[in-house]
Amino acid sequence: MLLRAQNVSRSFGALLALSGASLDVTEGEIVGLIGPNGAGKSTFFNCVAGDLTPTGGNILFNDVDVTRATPEAHAKLGIGRTFQVPATFVELSILENVMVGAFLRHPDRNDARAAALEVIEFTGLKAVASAPARTLGTPGRKRLEIARVLATQPKLLLLDEALAGLTPSEVQDAIALVRRIHAKGITIVIVEHIMEVILTLAQRVLVFNQGVTIATGTPREVVDNTAVIEAYLGRRHARNAGAHAP
Amino acid sequence: MFRFGIIVCAAFLLYPFFLPDDFYGRMAAEVLLAAIGASAWNILGGYAGQISVGHAVFFGIGAYAPLLIFTKFGLPPIVGVPVGILVSTAVTVVIGLPTFRLTGHYFSMATIAVAELIRLVISNWDYVGAATGLMGPAVARTWLDLSFRSPIPYYYIFLAVLACLLLLTWHLQRSRMGYYWRAIRAGERPARSLGVPVVRYKLYALLLSAGFTSVAGSLYSLMVGFIDPESGFGILKSVELIIIAALGGAGSLFGPLVGAMILVPLQTMTNSLYGGGGSGLTYIIYGGIIVLLARYEPGGLLDLWHRMMSRRAHRADVAAAKPHAS
Amino acid sequence: MTIIQVIASGLLLGAVYALFSSGLTLIWGMMNFINFAHGEFVLIGMYIAFLVVTYLNGGPLLFVGTAAVLLFGFGIVIYYGLIRHVMRGPILAQILSTFGLALLLRYLAFFIFKADFKTLPDTIFPGTVNIGGIFLGMPQLVAGGVALVITLGIHLLLKRTTIGSQLLAVSEDRQAAMLMGIRPDRMQAIAWGLSAATAGVAGALIATFYYISPTVGESLALTAFVVVAFGGFGSVPGALVAGLLIGVIQSLSAYLLGPIYKDIVVYAMFVALLWIRPTGLFGKAA
Repeated sequence: MLLRAQNVSRSFGALLALSGASLDVTEGEIVGLIGPNGAGKSTFFNCVAGDLTPTGGNILFNDVDVTRATPEAHAKLGIGRTFQVPATFVELSILENVMVGAFLRHPDRNDARAAALEVIEFTGLKAVASAPARTLGTPGRKRLEIARVLATQPKLLLLDEALAGLTPSEVQDAIALVRRIHAKGITIVIVEHIMEVILTLAQRVLVFNQGVTIATGTPREVVDNTAVIEAYLGRRHARNAGAHAP
Repeated sequence: MFRFGIIVCAAFLLYPFFLPDDFYGRMAAEVLLAAIGASAWNILGGYAGQISVGHAVFFGIGAYAPLLIFTKFGLPPIVGVPVGILVSTAVTVVIGLPTFRLTGHYFSMATIAVAELIRLVISNWDYVGAATGLMGPAVARTWLDLSFRSPIPYYYIFLAVLACLLLLTWHLQRSRMGYYWRAIRAGERPARSLGVPVVRYKLYALLLSAGFTSVAGSLYSLMVGFIDPESGFGILKSVELIIIAALGGAGSLFGPLVGAMILVPLQTMTNSLYGGGGSGLTYIIYGGIIVLLARYEPGGLLDLWHRMMSRRAHRADVAAAKPHAS
Repeated sequence: MTIIQVIASGLLLGAVYALFSSGLTLIWGMMNFINFAHGEFVLIGMYIAFLVVTYLNGGPLLFVGTAAVLLFGFGIVIYYGLIRHVMRGPILAQILSTFGLALLLRYLAFFIFKADFKTLPDTIFPGTVNIGGIFLGMPQLVAGGVALVITLGIHLLLKRTTIGSQLLAVSEDRQAAMLMGIRPDRMQAIAWGLSAATAGVAGALIATFYYISPTVGESLALTAFVVVAFGGFGSVPGALVAGLLIGVIQSLSAYLLGPIYKDIVVYAMFVALLWIRPTGLFGKAA
């Protein structure tokens, strides 16, 4: 088991945002996390990424307890994450952004540069590598976000709505990129609003509602699950399907 | 670019040979000294983006140590230089760690409060001369006292220290350390997600910055031979370090030097124009420059220069491309 | 008996601290911005009082009112002329903007009024009052009382009025406020005007019992920082409690340890606070 999250809870003051979510991820999987806004999936995601410390339960990564580990320790162990709103280092160039990630495994500047260039090539940012990152639009920044974390050589990649706000053709490009990342042997957990993405990419889906997980299974099984439809998909699925129809 | 560098280095090395009198020699030494202090601040404030407004603490410790060593033990003041660095480092660890939990404005505010606290303690502590401060050796006993009548020896000492500092900064800025600092400045949360141990690297920046600011303080008191709480620990000292770095360009290698080459002569000018009472005018000008800088050119003069250069290059490109297009 | 007198005068001083600190904390709460020139705003209030009394022979109502109105306008001008342009820029520019302003104002005062201490005639609020054996100076009593009332007034303004709820809406969520039809720029300008006015009024009040000199703003600004840090950033009631507390602590340490300790003790407490609870004594945890 690559990741084992057991009974993870998190409260903010009196508000219990997440109560007892569990997730096992085996190596090589793509797992999707879905649920309406405020369902707890982002809280769960941030607990796994180390940005939030759970108030209950525990999280094991490769049998190492990371429940209370810092975000930087997570990165070191091989858990990489992207941010929903790209947290681009706008004052740095695109290459420099990726080099910050690459320095984690390559202390030497030249090694880091070479590794970063490889990732830049892989993610299709080569043409703009030396441009300032502030010149990128949202799709470019989302791509840079992925490139930067790939440079840290994660075993597990956590993608936080990496495809939100993209046009349908950009979504297709991004799906292809995620597939290629997966083909490199990187395990992926993805939070996504767009059902189409989850249906095409994820092998297994975990559905959140009101701070608990209400269903788990293959995308097909989950889509057919009445509880899920009631809690979440009934309204949203229809809307999303409409929004993404050609 | 390389040839330009050689010419600038030669100019700095040979400058004292073309001096009309000591006035300009002293001013040049002061320029270099200011550049050392501002470059030291620049490591933490510019590269790592932690705006300390309390760096006078380290300058003051560095300035007091040599004269204290001389007054209390009769040793050559230069012995105090490493002592100053050590004490600054210790203060850094005690004060730096809690303040690093703060970010942005709150960090800056806390650094002011800490610096003022230390200034008040020094001003009332008889052992270190309280409000009157400390004097260095009136006449050099041996050359080890580093007390010269001519400013030229100071000029070369300062030049050597500045060269070392800039070389070290240059090396660091292009290594992992420099990249991590800039990542921290750009955003701590994403930096941590990429495995940057933020607190540790901020502490590295503070240690280096504090150490070299302390050296700047020591060099100041070695040259001037006198220090009091206001000129060592006063808030205006902190402000001076910041404005010099910011004017040239915070977070750039040569920004502080450029800032010093503009501000120090300016200050000398206003002081000589209005005598001792001119210091008020100097700070009005300082204040005005800071406000205008923050409002219009927060990147500093070097940034403006680079932008103008690239715009010119761009225009040249466009002009060259035109015949082909038509 | 003396110690009670010391505490009482500390409370009166603390009320004035609370007044101008509430202006500082208002800006911080709204836009995560510390005005490093806040102490100089107080200074301007002091000089306004001095000028109105000296050249117009005006009474307390006139000089306090003038300080409030002029500083309110000044705050708005500073917001539109400077703050609005730097507040989304790099952090260095944000900090330098008000820091430079502080230097500029402080040394302009130095240039115009010279370094010598100025005082208002003690006939403005003459005499002392005896309350059950405690003697309190009339100027301090008036200043403390007025400051307390205005600070509570600001608290009520924020909590009870439309303009207050609009100010708070902008500080909670700029985007959401805009969707509700509130113009954040205008609200922030008003907040700067209000903040500067608290400083101006506090300055005019302090001038009735304290000397006026260009450097006085610096230590007042530091006191306000400490008050805001103790009270929790953005909290006016917090500033009120912390202001009173700091006033008492200052008076007590001056009385028990000696005058030079009044600032040392307060700053040392601030450094200790950084160690223990960086979000402020009464502030909410981050």
